[in-house]
Amino acid sequence: MTQANSSSLMPSDNRPREQVAVFSIAAFSFAISAASVQEIRSTDSLGGSVVDLDRPVSRKVRHIVERDARTYYVVSGCEHFHLRTSRPATVLFLRNAPVAVLVDRIEEMAEMRVLLALPQSFRGEERTWYRGLTVLDRKVLPVVNPNGFLSESEMHRLEEQNPGVLQIAVAGHERGRA
Amino acid sequence: MSAPEMDSLVPSFVVFHVGTRRVALPQECVAELIASPMLFSFPHTTPLITGVALRRGRIVPVLDLGPGLLGAPSPTARFFLVADRRIANTSERCAIPVQGECELVAGIMLPPLRVEDDSISGCLDINGDLVDVLDLERTIANSARIKADAVSRAEAIS
Repeated sequence: MTQANSSSLMPSDNRPREQVAVFSIAAFSFAISAASVQEIRSTDSLGGSVVDLDRPVSRKVRHIVERDARTYYVVSGCEHFHLRTSRPATVLFLRNAPVAVLVDRIEEMAEMRVLLALPQSFRGEERTWYRGLTVLDRKVLPVVNPNGFLSESEMHRLEEQNPGVLQIAVAGHERGRA
Repeated sequence: MSAPEMDSLVPSFVVFHVGTRRVALPQECVAELIASPMLFSFPHTTPLITGVALRRGRIVPVLDLGPGLLGAPSPTARFFLVADRRIANTSERCAIPVQGECELVAGIMLPPLRVEDDSISGCLDINGDLVDVLDLERTIANSARIKADAVSRAEAIS
């Protein structure tokens, strides 16, 4: 995985490379490591596998979704990044977290050659949201931290308020199939 | 001491406009003045930062000092003053939107006119016009506080 470099582009071309998916939410574009994404689906294809949470603990997570015997919390990318409006049509199922992120659309797959540290002037939630910044096609894009969509404490609160919901959803789906 | 030696002891200041306000920074804080850089924005929650610029291969955050100096965001700017700020025990460059071009002025800094404003470290007498010299870190902190208060008020109303 590419390590965040201080703040300047390295002149040599021996830089580590990383495949990223570039997606958009509202007017903004973001990059995410392709290795951290298990699957990318249209929201239309989710159908009846989406279940409302009885007790949502934040505006950004209101549903769970079952996919291939795994259950994911559905995180609204729009709410996560505090954006006003978006048209989510795509879901990113993350590989190493029970998180499915609603985004507007995938723009492209690209090769990231540099990961720059977020300047220290940034002091807010963005330090959790992003691994750093990259430059693609002469544009600066934030590279999202896949573990930043739901923190450990947010996961705990979700589990506390909706005990066993991830396991119950999977069991219910398997009973339905049987 | 010769006249040139005397001149070298007189500090220099970069004088610029944020909106209608004329202010100055010590010359050693200022790296360059750039015109119309490409600005990039992305979601974040830090007050004052309006985006970032890519300058000489470095990411430079753009900080609007308008809320602290004008009580409102700065008007659209064509020029950006790149200054060094001290943050987390390191130096980091930031770009400040400014109106019009800047002047380099040599002079002795006088005590501040308004001692209650800790974001001003002194003032310069430029042909009878008194110009505040900013303490950049305190100006940024003050502007951020004012901006955050304004956002909180707006959210409370909505």
